[in-house]
Amino acid sequence: MDMPQAGERAVQGPGGVIRFLGLVLLGAVIGGLAALAAVGFVAAVLWLNDLLLISPRGRMMFARPELLALATVLVPALGGLVVGQLHRAIPERRPHTPADVIAAVQTRRGRLPARAGVLSALSGLVSLGAGASVGQYGPLVHMGASLGSTAARLLRLGRSEDNITIACGVAAAIATAFNAPLAGIVFAHEVVLRHYALRAFAPVAAATLVGHVIATNVLARGALFHVAEPALPRPWEFAAFLAIGGLGALVAGAYMRSILAVGRLAGRLPLAPPLRPALAGAMLGVAALWVPDILGMGQETLRFATIAGAFGGLELGVVLVLKLAATALCLGMGFGGGVFSPALVIGTLFGALCGTLVAAAGGAQDTFVFYAICGMVAVTAPVIGAPLTSLLIVFELTGSYTLTTAALASVTLASPIAAQLFGRSLFDIQLAGRGLDLSSGRSRAVLEDARLEQLMSQEGVTLRPDASVAEAVARLGRAGHGEAYLVDAEGRYRGSVTLADLEVIREQGEDTRTVDDCPQTPRPVLGPQTSVWTAMRHLQEMTGEAIAVVDDDDTFLGVVFEASIARAFLRYSDELRREEHGAG
Amino acid sequence: MVPARRLTRACALALGLWVAWPAGAAPEGITVLSWGGAYERAQSRALFAPFTAATGTPVSVARYDGGLADLRRAVAAGEVPWDVMDMTRSEAMAACREGLLAPLSPSLAEPAPDGTPAERDFIDEAFGPCSITHSVFATVVAYRRDAFPGQRPTRIADLFDQRRFPGPRALQRTPSVNLEWALLSYDVPREELYRLLSTRRGLSLALERLAGLEELRWWEAGSTPPQLLAEGEVVMASGYNGRFFDAMVNRDVPIDILWDGQVQEHEVWAIPRRAPHPEAARAFIRFATGTERQAALSRYIPYGPSRHSAALRITTHADSGIDMRLHIPTHPLNAERSVTKDEDWYAHTRERIGDYFRAALFPDADETPSVD
Repeated sequence: MDMPQAGERAVQGPGGVIRFLGLVLLGAVIGGLAALAAVGFVAAVLWLNDLLLISPRGRMMFARPELLALATVLVPALGGLVVGQLHRAIPERRPHTPADVIAAVQTRRGRLPARAGVLSALSGLVSLGAGASVGQYGPLVHMGASLGSTAARLLRLGRSEDNITIACGVAAAIATAFNAPLAGIVFAHEVVLRHYALRAFAPVAAATLVGHVIATNVLARGALFHVAEPALPRPWEFAAFLAIGGLGALVAGAYMRSILAVGRLAGRLPLAPPLRPALAGAMLGVAALWVPDILGMGQETLRFATIAGAFGGLELGVVLVLKLAATALCLGMGFGGGVFSPALVIGTLFGALCGTLVAAAGGAQDTFVFYAICGMVAVTAPVIGAPLTSLLIVFELTGSYTLTTAALASVTLASPIAAQLFGRSLFDIQLAGRGLDLSSGRSRAVLEDARLEQLMSQEGVTLRPDASVAEAVARLGRAGHGEAYLVDAEGRYRGSVTLADLEVIREQGEDTRTVDDCPQTPRPVLGPQTSVWTAMRHLQEMTGEAIAVVDDDDTFLGVVFEASIARAFLRYSDELRREEHGAG
Repeated sequence: MVPARRLTRACALALGLWVAWPAGAAPEGITVLSWGGAYERAQSRALFAPFTAATGTPVSVARYDGGLADLRRAVAAGEVPWDVMDMTRSEAMAACREGLLAPLSPSLAEPAPDGTPAERDFIDEAFGPCSITHSVFATVVAYRRDAFPGQRPTRIADLFDQRRFPGPRALQRTPSVNLEWALLSYDVPREELYRLLSTRRGLSLALERLAGLEELRWWEAGSTPPQLLAEGEVVMASGYNGRFFDAMVNRDVPIDILWDGQVQEHEVWAIPRRAPHPEAARAFIRFATGTERQAALSRYIPYGPSRHSAALRITTHADSGIDMRLHIPTHPLNAERSVTKDEDWYAHTRERIGDYFRAALFPDADETPSVD
């Protein structure tokens, strides 16, 4: 594996230490920037919500009921219109999300585009501000990641550093928004980097610390959920928490499937994509006239769901289904925003429903909040694919060990069941839909992202189909290759012959036959955009020295030698190994 | 000659000024509009007299009974008789919006003695565009010491827990403060109180709590709750902290204050637009909001200083010698779980919240006079 490679070589010694400390410092700077951006974003959303009569406070302080009803429908609809126009300026015609961050890091493509980053943040801001049922953490994560990537680009850093700066931005955004530094660090590793190298840990931790300091000093907000002296659950209740985990996985699955399904259905609508969010906004607004709980991020709904008796059992079920539907509608029809905050609400409502049922069946009433939190973790952990992060958020926000262990019981079943049935996270499912399969880990993702084009060589022996066997043998002998590729006058690929077969024919004294008359070895041909991963799969089923590369019209472009595919595989593995096991 | 002419002119000016000067008021005085009674007597001892002693500027006091009508009329006529006003923050906010007050910068306030800048030394939201909070008073719950042998209420939720703390209650017949306490009893964080009260669900949870109280007396005059407690008519009552202080210290009523969930309101200094002596008024506000003066005021009345540095210097009552720390709303011992009344919220919702309140708790009463 000791192949000399230019570029990202692990630097050891004092120079390496200085370089590494520089990276830690850069992490802290990015953390500060991402945290400030997050604080600004959150404040702007709250301000817009009050101004646009989305937040309960703004709605209550507005005295004219008929105008309020009008605003409830118009604001999300007009917000959708703005969002639709914003998305037209993004090459992919959709807002970028944490899934794009994960893809950039996992395939080592790095480099999140700044323009799409800014537009996506704006789209998230307008969506949330106008009351769409979407989350704020997705846009925050993407914003932090874009800042990190931009910093790496400005400083002309390599791919590994780029991945680390992205993780720094992500961690700081989460640490600031939740005021939970440990959760920020773990989220960046668990969801974005998907490895735990010391080399990445230190800059990410520095970023998180800065974010945490900024959050505690600037963003003096109440905890996302607040639990006062919870009672101790009885031993049998842990069985209930486990069961909530199993059922929560199904709720998470329904949530993810609904978002994707609405996305597919929206594609069939006879409505131009930029207008779809407006339609979704209007529909949401009309529904919110009856159930205002589904508007916006739903922080008040989340709070009430942790209070025993705030909702009736039936009411919990109705709000849960409506919130799920509203979120699927908003995200599927193209609003910008995250999936986490709605999942928090849905999960907590689900947990509260379980708690209400248990209480009705004779269980305890004083442990109600445990059920709510267990439901919350059971739904959110599978959706974002981050069981540890979810647990840490519970721990850091409540400071309660008992609650965290209860949440652990529920996540124990939730995450694996959801991963088996649906996928590791909504992000992974979305990426798989776009052709990036992360289920086999990062090495496969990198190989799937690498294209044969870069490995193509023109050194293969090409023969015209009417060349004689003798001529073919002579050419192959001179070039030192065992295979030749038949290319006709129009440059089209016509098959391949091996030196062994040609020799047999020559032995039989038929060396004046033309080569296209000879028995041909059936060989796969691949396009220049085929991934290295696919090429390796083909290699398993053939023996030979190279694979011909042709374009869509069968035009012969060159060959890729088996050896260069193997070399590329080793190189990528080596880079990953350095990145994931590097200490500094 | 030019210098000689200048001298003449200066002499003439001085003479003119001397003639125009009101007789008997050698240095010009300022007029402070304040609330009268024990409150004004305390301010005189702690603020007005020391200000005159320090600057030579005499302070005269005019009696204020709240409201903005007089101020509106005076500003419109261009003849404002007051230099400084002591008003509630909600009225100062309204007056400021109407352009009746001069803008005040937070930089007017002195830093704390240890050098902490004023912005950090004052409690949150002490600085409005036209006002600076100088004192904080609170609506609190007081309970009879002899009502619950062996235990005493420690959390505002205990107000609604008639199983552990049995007995009649008295509450003010207004939505404000009661709704806050009712929702706090569900263990919601104080920061989210008004956001949650803005939802139908939050309001109905709070009103349910209030409706669930048995043997409830409603009071309207601030003097009623200490009296009900003194007579043993109720065992817990809401009321103003100053009134309870008076009952405990001057009349030996056996009550204690439950500070948990206290709802604080701000008293502010403001300068009317077109005040006759704005410079002297600013000098007075700077003097009166200093750490030392704020701490001095708290030796006479149980109003909380708006500065952390002053709250830490609270000592004993000037006359009776009792420990004032137990009675000051902003003292760290009492302020830990306080709620600041959201005046902006009430300003916009008062009527509707009042309707909900009456509909839920007084369904039979016809048009009662508007509450709060």
